[in-house]
Amino acid sequence: MTGLLDDLLGGLALGAVYALVALGFVVIFKASGVLSFAHGSLLLFGGYLIAVLHDDLGFAGALAVAVLATALLAGALDRLLLQRGDPGPGAAHVQTIVTIGVDIVLLTELSRRIGGDLLPLGDPWGDAVTGLGPVTVADSRLAAIVVSAVSIASVFALFRYTRWGLSLRAAGEDVEAAALMGVRLSRVRTLAWCLAGGLAALAAVFLAAFPAPGLERTTGQIALKAFPAAVLGGMASPVGALAGSLLIGLTEALVAGHQSELSLLGEGFADVAPYAVMVLVLLVRPTGLFGTRGAARV
Amino acid sequence: MNTPHPGHRATTAVLAAALALLVAATGCSAKADGGSGGQDADGVRTGPGVSAETIRLGALTDLTGPYATLGKSIVQAQQMWADETNAAGGICGRKVEITVKDHGYDVQRAVAAYADISPDVVALPQVIGSPVVAALLDDVQRDHLLTFPQAWAASLLGKESVQVVGTTYDLDMIAAVDFLTRTRGVRKGDTIGHVYFEGDYGANALEGSSWAARKAGVKVVGQKIKATDTDLSAQVSALRKEGVKAILISAGPAQTASLVGVAASRGLRVPVVSSAPGFAPQLMKTPAAPALAALLHVVSSAPAVSSELPGVRRMVTAYRKKYAGSPVDSGVLSGYNAAQLLGAGLKKACAAGSLAREDVVKAHRAQENADTGLGVPQDFSDVDRPASLSTYVLKPDAKALGGLVGAEEAHRIPGAEEYLKARRS
Repeated sequence: MTGLLDDLLGGLALGAVYALVALGFVVIFKASGVLSFAHGSLLLFGGYLIAVLHDDLGFAGALAVAVLATALLAGALDRLLLQRGDPGPGAAHVQTIVTIGVDIVLLTELSRRIGGDLLPLGDPWGDAVTGLGPVTVADSRLAAIVVSAVSIASVFALFRYTRWGLSLRAAGEDVEAAALMGVRLSRVRTLAWCLAGGLAALAAVFLAAFPAPGLERTTGQIALKAFPAAVLGGMASPVGALAGSLLIGLTEALVAGHQSELSLLGEGFADVAPYAVMVLVLLVRPTGLFGTRGAARV
Repeated sequence: MNTPHPGHRATTAVLAAALALLVAATGCSAKADGGSGGQDADGVRTGPGVSAETIRLGALTDLTGPYATLGKSIVQAQQMWADETNAAGGICGRKVEITVKDHGYDVQRAVAAYADISPDVVALPQVIGSPVVAALLDDVQRDHLLTFPQAWAASLLGKESVQVVGTTYDLDMIAAVDFLTRTRGVRKGDTIGHVYFEGDYGANALEGSSWAARKAGVKVVGQKIKATDTDLSAQVSALRKEGVKAILISAGPAQTASLVGVAASRGLRVPVVSSAPGFAPQLMKTPAAPALAALLHVVSSAPAVSSELPGVRRMVTAYRKKYAGSPVDSGVLSGYNAAQLLGAGLKKACAAGSLAREDVVKAHRAQENADTGLGVPQDFSDVDRPASLSTYVLKPDAKALGGLVGAEEAHRIPGAEEYLKARRS
């Protein structure tokens, strides 16, 4: 029983970290129809900044600088590279492919700088854990649950109650009509990219914090695990991103926790399980858990 | 370095085949060069990479990729060996020169670099990266290029020109199980966990642990992971459920830190034993450092760089003087050791009258007790056997150079002979 509780709690905490990453995917997709493959390296960029700056600025200062800088980088990427391409039909697909190129460039440079190092981010939680009845959970993961819940609620509120959110949703419904009604599409879009960049830097903290040993050059790749979570949730819904992430986190933890009983499926199935779940869900609900019918999909 | 990239396998095979075709078609193979070797004024037969003045060696390393830190250590250590050797008059009256090529852990670049340097070198004292070594195996065999890979999978044995120094991963894990049963109270009927990377490294390690555990009447519970898994919470939960009395890990440093840190924080305070590639000095700066110091041991066929062995102390002192500010890790020791062992083979080949590649391999393989003073003596005479059946047990110490200190001196791994016999049949 303790084992099951352990897996459930571990899965939820892991899902909360994925949710921060998945939220970035969702915000970008909703605003621009682009599936950003550069998200992982943006995350690594944010994490790297925290790692180099935390000694001088303290953790909070480094985090603030990193969130801002990553937001600016993501915004610049959208404004200077993606938006300048041909805006015709299928532009989102072309831009998605451009993000692959950006990812390679960024990742190569960051990998070169990080090399084989393990960089501590100087976060305040260290390896502290909190006991909840018979099971324990890392403080950093509790923080991740709180931060991702707050982030998702904020993004949800932003979408629903601000002018920017209204513009974004209007553009999502009908780009031309929104433009005719005076929505400044490119600004709305760039702001969304900035938001996603900031979220990526925030997610880096929790991907590198205990139980992980620090920031590695491969930390960005972990972000790809949030990809099935975003797809599961319907790609355009913040709540869906949260639900999808929790589902993926739980799946991973439960499958890894019961690996010996699942040996029929081969060892290491935990890595495949999120994608298997994604496929199964899409078979039943082709638009994802919270997706809307007819949404463009990449 | 120790994890073959899964996706690279097919590419690697295709590339190797393409390269082989190209070489065959253009007839520019090193074998052809091998035949063109002549006899020098001093009566020593020469071949590719050897002139009257110089002996040229090659290194295929990673200076810009994931193993850049390790690559730099090895390159510097081997350069130091070359400088020292040349200051003492060189080998066979010739200066030693090392041509270093960076492949950034990219198999395609490595294959190209090999094609570039292989016609002009007589041996390779360094090749980093299991996938790189795998891609080049057939080429170094064909070209009779004595090669010292920085990889220790048993699948690299049985190749005349490829020399794995020390023990292989399976023997390390046999030593680890022995250590646990001998000193950590693991008994018949107990269960131990083994967390391992997919690919050659992990598979070979699991082979060893399974064999040793069966002998000791212990059950092994495996947990296969990938190099990108750095949060091992789920694995720890699973192992705790199995009630493991100890854990073996054959992965990278990040995985070791996560495993030990999580296990300790969850109250699973059992002994953990890692292979040498699973540790790096940087780990002692992570939040997991206290747990590592309390729970972890490392089995290694090389001593710690902080060892009191006179040979190691002399080398480390010289290295710190020459490269002040560079970290001293296990790569320094293994790189220097490989270069010294190669140097010994070259000297033997010279004494026998030929520095042609085949003769260098032959002279190298004739050494049954090669002792560099940097650890245990190596026996290179049986191509199917690991060069050593002895291991050290080390433990983390944040204050020590290289982050490790000796816990047990070198000793022969019990059961190793029996295991090798079983493996052969």
